[in-house]
Amino acid sequence: MFRFWPLWVLLLGGLLIWGMQRPDPKLLDSVLVGRQAPTFSLPVMEPFRAEFGPELGVHENLDKPVVLNIWASWCLPCRVEAPILERFHRLYGDRVLILGVNVQDTSANALAFVREFRLTFPSVYDKRGRIGIEYGFHGVPETFIIDRNGTILVRHAGEISAEQLQGYIRRVLQ
Amino acid sequence: MTRFQYPGLYWARKILSVGLLLAAYLMAAQVFAQPRPNIPPPDLGPRVFEIARDLRCPACQGESTAESNAAIAVEMRRIIAEQLAQGRTEAEIHQFFVERYGPWILYEPAFGGLTLWAWLSPIIGLGLIGFALWRYQAVLRARARSVISEVSEEELARLESRLNQAPSEGRSL
Repeated sequence: MFRFWPLWVLLLGGLLIWGMQRPDPKLLDSVLVGRQAPTFSLPVMEPFRAEFGPELGVHENLDKPVVLNIWASWCLPCRVEAPILERFHRLYGDRVLILGVNVQDTSANALAFVREFRLTFPSVYDKRGRIGIEYGFHGVPETFIIDRNGTILVRHAGEISAEQLQGYIRRVLQ
Repeated sequence: MTRFQYPGLYWARKILSVGLLLAAYLMAAQVFAQPRPNIPPPDLGPRVFEIARDLRCPACQGESTAESNAAIAVEMRRIIAEQLAQGRTEAEIHQFFVERYGPWILYEPAFGGLTLWAWLSPIIGLGLIGFALWRYQAVLRARARSVISEVSEEELARLESRLNQAPSEGRSL
């Protein structure tokens, strides 16, 4: 048994190092997938109020699937995502609600971001980031795909590409 | 005694006074330059930080929700404070975050299910080490016994007779 002690040392050392590794939160499965999406209603950002009303959110009875995107103006991947989300809103806006949730931001910076990218899909303002915690988010950006029944189908952590978003929307429209 | 009579003493006093003032200033500066002790801000009680210490900060590397200043950790602490004010217990608050983030959010895994291994593995490890040591000792004892049994009766008798001889007659074996 002790003849192979270097092997044991390597094995135990490897186990220790492996055990100390922190799992990447982006790769963690969300416990909310397959469950009912947390409901909320938040104030709509000023540029969208005329079209979408004073408050918007996720409710139990949705008339269409929701692509919930949590973003902040200071987040670099959000700058990459914004034109993609806008493009899909123009393509699928009548069948899918693309809803932005601005978190951990100032309203002035969030408004400047909306104007810079000429966003027309609605965003709500959640300064404290409480809704993000309700959805178990780790950081911006994160996107949740919610079907018509209000069930979370996908949690996408990090930047979303056009191909990924296309796949999610096709899936939710099936 | 004037400064003109003993100019050396006068300047020594001056230098001493200035030195003392400088030392006092430096000590005060040291005190104020100390980093703030890690105490909770007045609006959040220490109980909030005790509970937050058990929770990982979702946006950080190796920091608990109590230690981090990330916006998400600040909001989590606020939620803990709100829930404590509502009379929720520590277990209920833990459960609130587990329902949203999964058991990953807890530094200490729950005692049960798959995570039972995390709790039992040190005991199993100690047991294995104990077993290995016991086996090693057994091998050593067996080897010692076999060495003794390999010595012939004649040789043992010869050695004993040598040992029983007077020290003056002693010779090297």
